[in-house]
Amino acid sequence: MEDNFVEGLTEVTCDVLVIGGGTAGPMAALKAKQRNPELNVVLLEKANVKRSGAISMGMDGLNNAVVPGYATPEQYTKEITIANDGIVDQAPVFKYASRCFEIIGELDRFGIRFQKNANGDFDLKKVHHLGTYVLPMPNGDTVKKALYRQIRRERILISNRFMATRLLTAKDGRIAGAIAVNTRSAEFLVLRAKTVILCMGAAGRLGLPHSGYLFGTYENPTNSGDGYSMAYHAGAALANLECYQINPLIKDYNGPACAYVAGPFGAYTANSEGKRFIESDYWSGQMMQEFYNELQSGKGPVFLKLNHLHPDTVGEIEQILHKVERPSRGRFHQARGTDYREVMIEMHISEIGFCSGHSASGVFVDEFARTTVPGLYAAGDMASVPHNYMLGAFTNGAIAGEHAAGVAGEIDLPEFDSELVSLERQRVLAPTRRDDGIPPNQLEYKTRRLVNDYLQPPKVTAKMQIGQARLAEVREDLERALVARNPHELMRSLEVSSILDCADMAAQASLYRTESRWGLYHNRVDYPDKDDDNWFCHTLLRKVDGRMVSEKRAIEPYIVPIEHEERTAYERLRVSNQA
Amino acid sequence: MPLALSPTTVPVVVDDAKCIADKGCTVCVDVCPLDVLRISDLTGKAFMKFDECWYCMPCETDCPTGAVTVNIPYLLR
Amino acid sequence: MSAFDPFEDFGDAEEIAERLTDADPAVRRLAVIDLAETASIDVLPHLLAAGEDHDASVRLQVAIALGEFETRDAARALAKLVKDDDPSVAQAAADSLAEVKDPAAAAEILPSLSHPSAFVRAALFRGLRALRSSSSLGPALGAMRDADPNVRAEALAVIAYLKLEETLPSLIDATCDADASVRAVAVDALTFTTKAAARAAVAAALSDENWQVRAAAAESLGRIGRVCDADVLVKGLGDEYWQVQQKSLGALGKLKVQTAVPAIAQLLESEIPALRKEAAAALGEIADPAARESLMELASDADPDVRKTVRWALTKLG
Repeated sequence: MEDNFVEGLTEVTCDVLVIGGGTAGPMAALKAKQRNPELNVVLLEKANVKRSGAISMGMDGLNNAVVPGYATPEQYTKEITIANDGIVDQAPVFKYASRCFEIIGELDRFGIRFQKNANGDFDLKKVHHLGTYVLPMPNGDTVKKALYRQIRRERILISNRFMATRLLTAKDGRIAGAIAVNTRSAEFLVLRAKTVILCMGAAGRLGLPHSGYLFGTYENPTNSGDGYSMAYHAGAALANLECYQINPLIKDYNGPACAYVAGPFGAYTANSEGKRFIESDYWSGQMMQEFYNELQSGKGPVFLKLNHLHPDTVGEIEQILHKVERPSRGRFHQARGTDYREVMIEMHISEIGFCSGHSASGVFVDEFARTTVPGLYAAGDMASVPHNYMLGAFTNGAIAGEHAAGVAGEIDLPEFDSELVSLERQRVLAPTRRDDGIPPNQLEYKTRRLVNDYLQPPKVTAKMQIGQARLAEVREDLERALVARNPHELMRSLEVSSILDCADMAAQASLYRTESRWGLYHNRVDYPDKDDDNWFCHTLLRKVDGRMVSEKRAIEPYIVPIEHEERTAYERLRVSNQA
Repeated sequence: MPLALSPTTVPVVVDDAKCIADKGCTVCVDVCPLDVLRISDLTGKAFMKFDECWYCMPCETDCPTGAVTVNIPYLLR
Repeated sequence: MSAFDPFEDFGDAEEIAERLTDADPAVRRLAVIDLAETASIDVLPHLLAAGEDHDASVRLQVAIALGEFETRDAARALAKLVKDDDPSVAQAAADSLAEVKDPAAAAEILPSLSHPSAFVRAALFRGLRALRSSSSLGPALGAMRDADPNVRAEALAVIAYLKLEETLPSLIDATCDADASVRAVAVDALTFTTKAAARAAVAAALSDENWQVRAAAAESLGRIGRVCDADVLVKGLGDEYWQVQQKSLGALGKLKVQTAVPAIAQLLESEIPALRKEAAAALGEIADPAARESLMELASDADPDVRKTVRWALTKLG
């Protein structure tokens, strides 16, 4: 098995092109095909749809299931709005909340197993005392398998091991398709399409994990921000990128601390005295600020505490944590001889990334998953619907697929400038034309080390400016000296280019919003206060005439009103952002 | 200037006695999200070619013969 | 420059099936994997034939593959593979059987329910559960006298999924089963009805010798109980296991048992933060202004979760 370069170029035509076969993508493809079986639907994936994406090994539960009898769409929309400091267009959130129960039922029929009570009804758990949204999935390792089965049955055309590099647009700005390159041969694929749905996951390889291991990230490291980069270069607007993703993790191991799994059993996050310290109600930037403060304080570090629970209960939690989502977790603890029953487990915070699944940044979309580029959609961790998690990816993927299929049924295939293809081939293949230079792993390490040094919070203006200058030097290196010796290295080279784009966007967006908001996510030390007078708005970042520009965008009028009292009740729970 | 090689201990280990890649199996190679596994031309067995592992375990879980073991990368251990 | 087909080709089923006659079991096994990958129902006869392979590793792969098909035919083959002498084949068949969705598959499973192996009987009942076929009811009721607790637990689940009032006597009997895990399931299963007999059985389970059953009973009573069931829950507040106390607090809050306020308020002084929090939450649910003073005393509790809950409870008191 050799990884040799092959000269090749094929053009295919389809109606709906879905890029990314993880969570949102398969659902988008499925719904597009079901909406109009006449359509040609293509699912393009950088790895293999069978086991790709954030839920490669499954998921331990739904964090945001809005199930009748437990919560209402209005209630959910209100909580998400408050948890995001009000910077929310409610329509997509409300749409999600109204449709997700139907999607749960569909996933259940697919054979994805949710926790049920003895009578076979969904067994939801209350995690925080506002609404009840958590539906565990003790056998969540079956998610991808069940999804893949549906895709195969619907005869969706699957194209594995093709990495999309750029979107194609028509003269009038409408989307016209995408260019992709094979990750094992470097052959090129031009996909012409009437509508394109981006489901390419988080920008999870942005910060560098404390271990220094490039691939030890919280997110699946295949999610290197390619979707953010492609949307940017196609002229789409990206929203609130300064609202980073940062998550609580087991120290050195990239598994989440699983408040949602262990919480219902009575486990909690504690300081070194074994005491609770988190005041905020929802997994939010505010919570991360509290976490960060405790880490830096004399009561740090922070721990996951289970050793007060009954050994049987701990066994039950381990059954879930060591089987689903990050199953190597048990192996990690075993190697260090740590047992949840006996000791508290040290925790830390993750590297930074972009991911709407857990925060609020992403390619700007409306309630139909439409981006600002006609014919281009986005769903899942890369689209701007806040805190949408796995169920959001499924639901918003479905919404995108249905709408994109509707549009594709009505329009002709847009024309595009074929010169775009040859220019893109030159750009992509440039690192393969060099015999000597900087390999992608070194360029990536440096980029991400600079992200840690200069862009991660607490954010300081002068530091971020230095970061921008240093990243510009790395970009010169990338354009001048990056070398890829085989197609696999070429894939990594293209990923570095996405990572660098995301780093530039993180710096630009963070400098633009001159206030602090969303707790730790956008904690600007030299603008420590929240400034609602000037910054109660979205920030949109986009490429205009080859330059990165930011602008404000007003928040759409709320459809679920938030009483002043409700907001201040939340405000009272705040702690200072100073450690 | 030639590129130097820097050695690393790889997390994914394959038991050649159990591996049936020489019979046409490519399951572990197919399911790896990071595409770091290959079949050796020399032995006909699967091996980890690139040390770019998320220790996510589909290769181990999906291997039909239980030939694959995923260890935690040394830097994290 | 060459052109190529970018789409996954899952191969021709007949060509793959030819490899099922290869002398090498590893090759036959890979053929089974490839057949399943086609996701076409047409390959099922080939898989059924491969289920007869003399090599256990091939049968194992068939048992796994059949889980992808969910049909009555697949169930027939799986009901057979569950009885396989090789334990890994039998286990895989049991897991796949639980994936079957076609209610007609029950007819394939029912004839084997008196198999001498308890493993097989339990696996078959597990397969029947989600089918919710009324034809399963008789055998499942009968199996509640099975000597093996796992079989009883799986049979109980079959009955519980059907949610029929007529099964109440059996479900109530199961709350007195010799096996604690069966009793815990029974206590949970009774929550589909609010009939007095069900409530009484759940209430009685609050005196079970096993703490996990008592905790389950408290939770269930919170869902189906009435205020008049409160006495046993108040007793549960004094349980030796804090987990049972916690569930009893939750239930009293849900049922809004005003008379329990003084007993609940006592637990505001518990050393265990989870109990202080649950007590505050219960007082908030009941919303009796009489609890205000004791709640106020906890407003500056050392535990943030307790403080949050107290603040929330105070707003409920108005």
